[in-house]
Amino acid sequence: MTNESDKPEVDEIDCLEAFDHLYAYLNDEITNKVDLANIEHHLSHCKSCYSRAQMERKINQRMKESGKSDTPESLQKRLRIVIDEL
Amino acid sequence: MAGSNELKEYFSNCIEQNMDSLYALALRLTRNPADAEDLVADSVVKAWSAVNTLNDRNRFRPWIFRILHNRFISDYRKKSVRPVETTYDELSTGDDGQQVATLLIEQPNEFLNWWANPEHEFTNNLLGEDIMKAIESLPEMFRITVLLINVEGLSYDETAEVLEISPGTVRSRMNRGRTLLQKALWHHAQDAGLITNEIMMECKA
Repeated sequence: MTNESDKPEVDEIDCLEAFDHLYAYLNDEITNKVDLANIEHHLSHCKSCYSRAQMERKINQRMKESGKSDTPESLQKRLRIVIDEL
Repeated sequence: MAGSNELKEYFSNCIEQNMDSLYALALRLTRNPADAEDLVADSVVKAWSAVNTLNDRNRFRPWIFRILHNRFISDYRKKSVRPVETTYDELSTGDDGQQVATLLIEQPNEFLNWWANPEHEFTNNLLGEDIMKAIESLPEMFRITVLLINVEGLSYDETAEVLEISPGTVRSRMNRGRTLLQKALWHHAQDAGLITNEIMMECKA
């Protein structure tokens, strides 16, 4: 149970300030409770920033799926030789 | 300690676990499969010779990514294939800490409208490969920051360790890199015909 008094006070921030925090927020890099509360509050009532956040999440997801590359067999063999010779 | 069987086994396991990540990063940096293979192999040899500098085994990933990145800068950067020319006027002014607001100045109105209201169908039509192509067109300092964080899942602190910069600079490079990525995606989507006349009309409205 979260006590109401544990919740940090929220400051109204504008879209540019929200955008400044957006990627840190999406990357789970905001550790300051007030900053976190401020951006979550902003996203909860600004349709434009909420849409942008959703779009960035989609891009993140596709980037994660597409950015991977399987190591070619030639390199796998080469690395095994390198490691054997260490 | 270096040279002990236990250490060699640990190192070998870590390389095995991170092989795909190392190759993927090398490929995105060099943009050439043969160079990427050489870069990974060279980095593994270099890493073993410097294994005593790995002070915290929980930080193996940033440690070996840093070695690979430094290796790329010293030996591979000059011959890496440049992408299809994409210019960013923003790069000629300001530094990493440049404010986002400044980045958005002088952008085409259609882009700014799309920026403010990104609920358009073409976003859904963008494939992973479109996004990776756009990432490849980013200047290196932004490309590697976005790749380390958004593809490899490194934290800002770990990325700072790889690139030997402060976490604050990582944060501003992430913001700037993703802003540039949006612009590149917009141009890519236009070239690929994903932005229909209807969408353009909406954006101009």
